[in-house]
Amino acid sequence: MEEFLRMEHVSKRFGDFYANKDINLTVNKGEVLTLLGENGAGKSTLMNVLIGLYQPTEGSIYLNGQKVRIDSPAQAVKLGIGMVHQHFMLVEAMTVFENIILGDRNARGVFIDREARKKEILELSARYGLDVELDKPITEIAVGAQQRVEILKALYRGAELLILDEPSAALTDIEVEGLFKIMRKLTEEGKSVIFISHKMREVLHISDRITILRAGEVVTTLKREETDGQALANLMIGRELTPSQYEKAEQAGDPVIELRGVDFQKTSKHNGLNGVSLTVGRGEIVGIAGVDGNGQSQLAQVVTGVLTPDAGSVDMKGSRVAQFTPNGFILENVSHIPEDRNKMGLIGEMSVKDNIVLKSTGTPEFSSGGGFILKKKAIRGYALKMQEKYDIRCASIEQEARNLSGGNQQKVILARELENNPDLLVAVHPTRGLDIGATRFIHDTMIEARDRGCGVLLVSADFDEILEVSDRIIVMFEGQVMGVYPGKNPPIEEISLAMAGK
Amino acid sequence: MDASFISNLILASVRMATPLIFLSLAELYSQRAGLVHIGLEGLAAIGSLSGFMVSLITGSPLLGVAAGAAVGILVNMIYAYATVNLCAEQIVYGMAVNIFAPALAAFIYRVYFGAGSELVQVGLMTTLSGLLGITSDNFLVRLLLDQTPMVYLAYGLVIFTAVYFNKTRSGLNFKAVGEYPKAAATLGINVVGVKYAASVICGALAGIGGAYLTTCYSTTYTDGNVAGRGFIALAAVIFGRWSAGGVLLACLFFGFCDALQIRLQVGSYGIPYQFFQMIPYIATVAVLAVIGAKKAGPKGVGKPYLREER
Repeated sequence: MEEFLRMEHVSKRFGDFYANKDINLTVNKGEVLTLLGENGAGKSTLMNVLIGLYQPTEGSIYLNGQKVRIDSPAQAVKLGIGMVHQHFMLVEAMTVFENIILGDRNARGVFIDREARKKEILELSARYGLDVELDKPITEIAVGAQQRVEILKALYRGAELLILDEPSAALTDIEVEGLFKIMRKLTEEGKSVIFISHKMREVLHISDRITILRAGEVVTTLKREETDGQALANLMIGRELTPSQYEKAEQAGDPVIELRGVDFQKTSKHNGLNGVSLTVGRGEIVGIAGVDGNGQSQLAQVVTGVLTPDAGSVDMKGSRVAQFTPNGFILENVSHIPEDRNKMGLIGEMSVKDNIVLKSTGTPEFSSGGGFILKKKAIRGYALKMQEKYDIRCASIEQEARNLSGGNQQKVILARELENNPDLLVAVHPTRGLDIGATRFIHDTMIEARDRGCGVLLVSADFDEILEVSDRIIVMFEGQVMGVYPGKNPPIEEISLAMAGK
Repeated sequence: MDASFISNLILASVRMATPLIFLSLAELYSQRAGLVHIGLEGLAAIGSLSGFMVSLITGSPLLGVAAGAAVGILVNMIYAYATVNLCAEQIVYGMAVNIFAPALAAFIYRVYFGAGSELVQVGLMTTLSGLLGITSDNFLVRLLLDQTPMVYLAYGLVIFTAVYFNKTRSGLNFKAVGEYPKAAATLGINVVGVKYAASVICGALAGIGGAYLTTCYSTTYTDGNVAGRGFIALAAVIFGRWSAGGVLLACLFFGFCDALQIRLQVGSYGIPYQFFQMIPYIATVAVLAVIGAKKAGPKGVGKPYLREER
């Protein structure tokens, strides 16, 4: 196969820290190369170097055997390198069409020639099976469609190499299938794809070759046929990882929270609850399975007191909840790992230390006079202890929480939410976007909490995760409970059908 | 209330709206590139003095306007450098311009003209009908022809801006910078360049808006002659939903309030005139209270753009 891209001895340094060190890799025409690595292994940095957002500290890049300098994103576009970022680079206030033609350098003239441009785009979309509605605003199309817009954007600019940064993170299984079809179509046409992911199943399914990164360096590059999931996982984290197998709890204790016929905006299919009844007992993990956006988010917010239901009743440890306030639920010892750790879970501009004690600043341990004067020393000491206990990797506990990697941010939240031994833990997508190591840590911590007698309500769009840790599985579809299934030997067929609303 | 009262009111509304249009468009271009600029008041003040002095010295109000634009750009480059290159807080630097520029204007005025109480006067720009030698009392003739070239320029700019942001490729790219600069950058748009272009346009238009006050509206320069128009323009951009047409309507509304208060001051007795003076400002507060709640401006406004941010 013909080589398209070669990176030689590429390093990128931030201050004293090497985000990438001496990277060598090649991408051939018509192949899918996967970059595999944990969060913070340097995958995104390396790709940002490739698309000209970052300047490499050392090293050189060759395209078609020619040495190139990529000093701006515009240059990368010109050289035929396109990237679909994990967080889409789409202007929400504009339409699909406008997003695709933004910054187009090939077009001539002052005005936008809508008809001609649309024709070109539609030809491309037909060729690669990228189905999009051109005149819809970005805010009105689904995540999968937004991704197709991103791919079209790159192809429209003549991309020969397409970088997909964790493209499957936000997609449903069906959408992932569609994405893989598109990727195959691209490679058939001689284009190259760099695929970034840490979902083993997908990596083994779609890759031709796999380059593993760890701590900013290339560990090795393997052909797909030469390896398997376990070997890749071990290479990625740098140690042996035994497959996880959790004991399922068969008998739950007294109910911690009990919902009876709870409604919330029940006519809304995607953001409502319609007659939801369920119970979470002590010492059990109840997994809420379902495709994202079927009311799970609202359920989690009701059981943490953020939303007040329109109808129905909620009993907390045997007594009826009259007022739905987050603080009331916190006082009832309910902990919450919210779905969006940056928006709801952490205050990004505050330090790791402060985020850890955010919920307990009023306790005598951390302040005198009920929160009047903070005991800085005690807080610092406690935060250091938590840093060690939860293995929070940061430069210092004074570092701003937003600068941490996703996994470490989640650990900060865990430290805050689990240290006070909650009676109920509501965990929403707790491992979304996290790598294997961090995911394992969070699952272990949840199981430990369960074994201490905590009731856990786990909401996840990752079916594998639900199967792995849940003691009971509840499927939600369009705001309704479709069924309750045992966590031990679950009827997978039946659950899958329920998730599709059948 | 007779016909001449109403026609005079309308004519005055158009005159009063003109400086607001320049200032609002200045704000619109700035915000569309993600730079919220609360320093228009200051830019207009220095533009107003520059316009006054140059038109006094050269005898040409047009040169005065050009000087206002040039000085507006110059002062706004401080704001641009601080907010774009140094990623400083936009509100703080806007405020800094507001404090710095009017004070500088007042200082230069004192130094140049002395601290005496004698009011220096300057000739105003001739209206189109004056240039053409037409004199008529017909309302339409007065509305359409009895205006300074600056009025036509203002309305021309509104049309140009509407076309630019809605129909042109460059306008689309410009808007993308204000909405999501990182996305714009990955598409090869020069984000820093657009922000500077916006700052040049903003400085020029704000300077012209200020110079209008001393070349077309009043024959003298006094400290504080901008009288909050820089802030009303900010409100007009929000009221006008960040579109050129909307901004025009908002400016006409505020211009109308301004014209109304002057007419009422002259025509009424017994009520302290200060109450009438409040009308434009109360209208601004009322409009913002109703409209401002639903924020729908460019998403990237107020945030600095750092290319190598991690």
